[in-house]
Amino acid sequence: MPHIPEVLPKSIPIPSFIVTTFSYVWFYLYPVLSRIPGGDFLIHYVRKSHQDDPYRTFVEIVLILYGIYYYLSKPQQKKGLQSNKPNLSPQEVDDLIEEWQPEPIVDPTVMDLQRWRLDAIPVIDGTGVNNRINIFQNGKKHENVLNLSSNNFLHLSQTPRVQDVARSVIKNYGVGACGPAGFYGNQDVHYNLEYRLSDFFGTESAVLYGQDFCTSASVIPAFTKRGDLLVADEKVSLAVQNALQLSRSTVYYYEHNNMESLEAILSELVESEKKENLPAISRKFIVTEGIFQNTGDIPPLPQLFELKNKYKFRLFVDETLSLGVLGKSGRGLTEYFGLPRKESIDITVGSMAHAFGSSGAFVLGDAVMSHHQRIGSYAYCFSASLPPYTARSVDEVLRILEEDNSSVTKLQKFSKLLHNEFLTDAKLPKYLEITSSPLSPILHLRLTPEFRYRKFGYSAEDLFCETMHQQKLVATTRYIEPYEQEERFLQKIVDRLLVESGLLITRNIIVVRQESLPFLPSLKICVNSGLQESDIVESCKSIKQVLVETCSE
Amino acid sequence: MSDAKVEGPTGSTRVPLFVPENLPADVKKENEYGTLTSKEHLHQTKSLNGKPMEPPIMDTPPYYISLITYLNYLIVIIFGHMHDFLGMTFQKDSHQDVMEKDGWAPWYSKFESFFSRRMKKKIDDCFSRPTTGVPGRFIRCIDRISHEENKYFTYPGTTSMCLNLSSYNYLGFAQSEGQCTTTALQSVDKYGIHSGGPRTQIGTTDLHLDAERLIASFLGKQDAVIFSMGYGTNANFFNAFLDSKCLVISDELNHASIRTGVRLSGAAVRTFAHNDMVGLEKLIREQIVLGQPKTNRPWKKILICVEGLYSMEGTLCSLPEVVELKKKYKCYLFVDEAHSVGAMGPTGRGVCDLFGVDPNDVDFLMGTLTKSFGAAGGYIASNKWVIDRLRLDLTTSNYAEPTPAPVLAQIIASLKTIKGELAPGEGKERLQRIAFNSRYLRLGLQRLGFIVYGAPDSPVIPLLLYCPTKMPAFSRMMLQRKIAVVVVAYPATPLIESRVRFCVSSSLTKDDLDYLLRHVSEIGDMLFLKASSGAASVPQDGRPPRWDVEDVIARTAEDCKNDNFFLT
Repeated sequence: MPHIPEVLPKSIPIPSFIVTTFSYVWFYLYPVLSRIPGGDFLIHYVRKSHQDDPYRTFVEIVLILYGIYYYLSKPQQKKGLQSNKPNLSPQEVDDLIEEWQPEPIVDPTVMDLQRWRLDAIPVIDGTGVNNRINIFQNGKKHENVLNLSSNNFLHLSQTPRVQDVARSVIKNYGVGACGPAGFYGNQDVHYNLEYRLSDFFGTESAVLYGQDFCTSASVIPAFTKRGDLLVADEKVSLAVQNALQLSRSTVYYYEHNNMESLEAILSELVESEKKENLPAISRKFIVTEGIFQNTGDIPPLPQLFELKNKYKFRLFVDETLSLGVLGKSGRGLTEYFGLPRKESIDITVGSMAHAFGSSGAFVLGDAVMSHHQRIGSYAYCFSASLPPYTARSVDEVLRILEEDNSSVTKLQKFSKLLHNEFLTDAKLPKYLEITSSPLSPILHLRLTPEFRYRKFGYSAEDLFCETMHQQKLVATTRYIEPYEQEERFLQKIVDRLLVESGLLITRNIIVVRQESLPFLPSLKICVNSGLQESDIVESCKSIKQVLVETCSE
Repeated sequence: MSDAKVEGPTGSTRVPLFVPENLPADVKKENEYGTLTSKEHLHQTKSLNGKPMEPPIMDTPPYYISLITYLNYLIVIIFGHMHDFLGMTFQKDSHQDVMEKDGWAPWYSKFESFFSRRMKKKIDDCFSRPTTGVPGRFIRCIDRISHEENKYFTYPGTTSMCLNLSSYNYLGFAQSEGQCTTTALQSVDKYGIHSGGPRTQIGTTDLHLDAERLIASFLGKQDAVIFSMGYGTNANFFNAFLDSKCLVISDELNHASIRTGVRLSGAAVRTFAHNDMVGLEKLIREQIVLGQPKTNRPWKKILICVEGLYSMEGTLCSLPEVVELKKKYKCYLFVDEAHSVGAMGPTGRGVCDLFGVDPNDVDFLMGTLTKSFGAAGGYIASNKWVIDRLRLDLTTSNYAEPTPAPVLAQIIASLKTIKGELAPGEGKERLQRIAFNSRYLRLGLQRLGFIVYGAPDSPVIPLLLYCPTKMPAFSRMMLQRKIAVVVVAYPATPLIESRVRFCVSSSLTKDDLDYLLRHVSEIGDMLFLKASSGAASVPQDGRPPRWDVEDVIARTAEDCKNDNFFLT
C-alpha cells in the first residue's frame, strides 16, 4: 500500500474514516487533475486554500454537491393561476375540445334593436365643416341644412389662406410622411409646428401625435407605474378613462369639479404616504379636462393650481375642446383664468382636430417631460408622423390667431348667445337642463331627473348601477332598455329638427360598453365663428319649439 | 450638401423651415420615383396556392461575435452606472431630471431611464433625423451638428439628398406628382382639410364610404372601416369585442399597438414563440381544456393575433397553417397586415394573396394606409354584420377624429392604381418592381456574406450588426455616403441582435441598389459584418458566401428571380 498523504491537519478532531476517505479521493484525483489542461492551477488552488483554512474545503465540497443536486433535481412547477391542471386522458381532452363552443365574434343579439343608431348616422355630401351642407340620412337627402354639430369652432381651416398652404404642402411634400418620428418621419414642418405651439401656448416644448383620442392614453402611462397616484375627476371623457386604465397606478376619483372633495382625497393620500415612509416619492397627478366632453363645463383652475402646489401633485389637463376656445386669444383654460400655463399645468393635451381645424393632437409641457415622451410614449414612438400638410395648416391657423383674435371673440360671443337663448327660456326647465358653461361652444342639453323618471322610469344612479352590474358580470350583451328609449327619444328630436327646420344637431354619442364612469344621454348644439348671428337666433327658436313640443307630447 | 432657402434664422438649435426648391418637373419626378431602367428588373410574384412556406433559416453568428456583443453591453452599462454615480454626486445640476426636488418625484426614475440616458443618448444623432420634402426615392435630410454628446443640435441650414432606404414607401406612392397628388389636391377644393367631428356624429362623408368600399373589395371582404391613425386602429380595437373572459393568443413578436389594445380590453393573453405552429396548437389545446384561470370555466372566445409581415424580422406568418388551426379549434383570427398589404402578393393584396388563402378564412384583416399607400391611418376589414356591430362599439368611430379628405383621396387613388383602374399598367409595374428590388437586395446582401433575416419577397430586409456600437458606426458611415438607413436595437429586437433595417421601395432603380450594395459591402468589410456561416444561403463549394461586389451586381439580377437561390 502506497503512502497516503495526510489531507486534513491533525489539530482538528475529525473522525478517522473521513480523513481516510478524503485522503483516498485526493490520492486518485491528483493524477487525473494533473493530466487535464489547467489542472495544475486547480491543484495549486486546492492546496493553497486547504492550507489556509481546512474547513473551507469542506464548505466548498458541500456547495459543489448541492449545486449538482440542484442542477439534477426537477424544476419546480410554476405556481400560476392555471396550475390546477386536471389529469385527463387524451380521449377526454379531445372530447373537451370538440365540445367547446365559442361565442360569436361580436354580439349579434341586440343588433336589431340598435340598428337605428347606424341608420341615424348622417352621411355628408361634401364636408361636414361647412355651415350649409347636404346630407343623406335614413336613405333620404336633405339639402341646404344648417350645420350645428361640427367642432370646427374657429372656422379658420376653410379660409383660402389655410387651404392654399395645405395645397402647396401637398404639392411639395406629398400626402403621407411615410415613417415614424424616430425614423425620418419628422419633417421640418413638424418641428416648426412644435416650436410654434410651444411659443403660442407659452410652454418649453410641444410633442405632436397622430390622433386626438389616443394621446391621453399614451402620455399618462409613459409617466406612471405601479404605486403612483392618480386623482381624477369623476366625469372625465373616455380618452382619459382609457389612460387611467392603462396607467397601472392607483386611481382615485373626486366629485365632479368639487374642490373640497379633491382636497379631502389629496390630504388623506399625502398623510398615508408619510406614514408608509417609502424609499422614493411616488409620482402623483390630478387629472381633469379643460371643457368636459360629456357635460361642457370647465374646472376651477385657480383652486386646482393651489391644491396641486400645496400637496405636490402634478396637474394633467385634457384641453381637447378648450384650446382655441377659452381665453381672450384662444390660449385655453390658463388664459381664461389668467394663469401662466408653464407653472399651472404640467401636462396639457390638445387637439388639432377641433378648433384648429386640421387633424392630430399635441402635448404641451416642460422640455424634460416632452423629451421622455419621444422615447416612452407608445402612440408617439410606434406611429407614423402626421401628414405634413396637416402640420403646416395648423401652423397657419396659429399664425392667423397671433395676428388677429377676432374669430375667438366671435366664437365666445356666439357661445354666450346660444346659452342665453336657452337659459332664458321659460318652458324649457320643466323638461331639460343645461350642463355646459356659457363659455363652451357646445351646448349640452339633457332631460331633467324628474322628467326622465316620469318618461323613462329610471335615474342616473339606476343607470350607473346597471352598467356597473353588467361590467362586473362581464356581460357580452350590454343593453339597457330605458336608456335606449331615451336615446331614441333624443334622436327623434334630432330627426324632427332635420326634417322640419333643416337643422343638424346631434346626440352626444356614448358607447355604453366602454364607459366606466357615470354618464347620461344628452343633446349637443355646436356653434362656430363662421355662423351668422341671425341664423343662431332663428335656429334656437326652432330648436326650442321642437324640444318643448316633443317633450310635452 | 446643398444650400437651400430657409425661412427664419439658421445656426440655431431649432430646425429651420425650408422653402421648397424650384426644380424642373422631370428632375423632381425622377427624385421621387426613378424610371425603370430595364424590363429585366421586374418580377411577378406567384401565389403559393395554399401551401405553407418553410420557415426561413435564421443564420447565427460565430460565438466570438455574441461574446463581444455581451461584453460591449457590459462595458457600456458599467460606464453608464459609474457616470450616473459620479454625476449624481458631483454634477447635481445636470442630473436634475432624475432627482427628487423638494417633495416632487422626478418625471422618470434613474433606473427607468438608464437605457435612454446612458445608451441611446450617445447615438441620438442616428435617430429622428429631420427631413424635408417628399420621402420618395431620395430623401432630403436636414444637416445638423451635434454638441456635447448629442445634448443638443444646431442646424446650419443645409440639406443632403440621401438615397432613401428608411421610409415605409413600399410602392413609391410618396410623390408630389401624379394621379394621387392630383386627387388629393382636388379633394381639398371639395372637402377641405378638416372633418368636423367623430364618424358617428358629423364626420362621415361620401368619401369615407367610397374608401371603405374600395378597401373591402380590394381585400375580398364584405366591409371595412377606416381610422385616422394606424397605431390607434389596434390600440382601440380589441376592447370593442373582447373582455376579461376572452383569451388572446399572440405571437411573441406582435407590435406594441396590438399589445396595448389587448391590455385595454382586459382579455387574458398567452404568447407563443414566433411562428412556432406546433407550440401554437399545443397552446390552443391546453387553453380550451383549462379555460379561465381559477374558475376553469371555458373561454368565451379565443382570438389568435398574428402579423402578416413582421416589421423587424422580415418574416411572414405561416398563414395556411394558422388558418387550418383556427378552423380546427373554432378560434378567431386577426391578421395585422401593416407592412404586407400592398407590398406583397401577386396583386398586392397582402399575405392572403401571397399564400393563396381565402380572405374570408381570416376574421379580421387589419392594415395601415401609411405604408404602401403613402397616406395615413389604418383599416379593419371583416364581414358586414361584424363591422356593423363594431361601428357602434368601437371607441375610435364614436369619439375620435375621422380620416381627413386629402388622405382619403390619396388612399382611393393609390388603391385604384394598384387595381389598375387608374393609370393602367402602373400599379402592376410598381408591384413587380418592389418584388424585384426586394429579392435583388436580399440575395445581393446574402452573397456578400451578410446575415440577413426574413422571407425572400419581404420588402423589409434586416441586416444583422450584433454589436450595439456598430449601429452608430454603420448609420453615420451610410449618411456620409448619402444613404439614409434605420438602425434598431434592444428593446425592439432581442438584446444582442442589433440590426439595420432596409425598407425597399418600388421607387428605387437597380442602379440605386447597386450603389447601396457597393457601399454596404465596403462598410461591411470595415466593420467586420460579413459573418454569415452559409447556413441560410445556397451552398457553394462548402464555404460561406463572400462574393466580390462586382460579381454580385453582374449575376444577381437574373438569379434573384429564381426561387432556388433562396433557401427556405
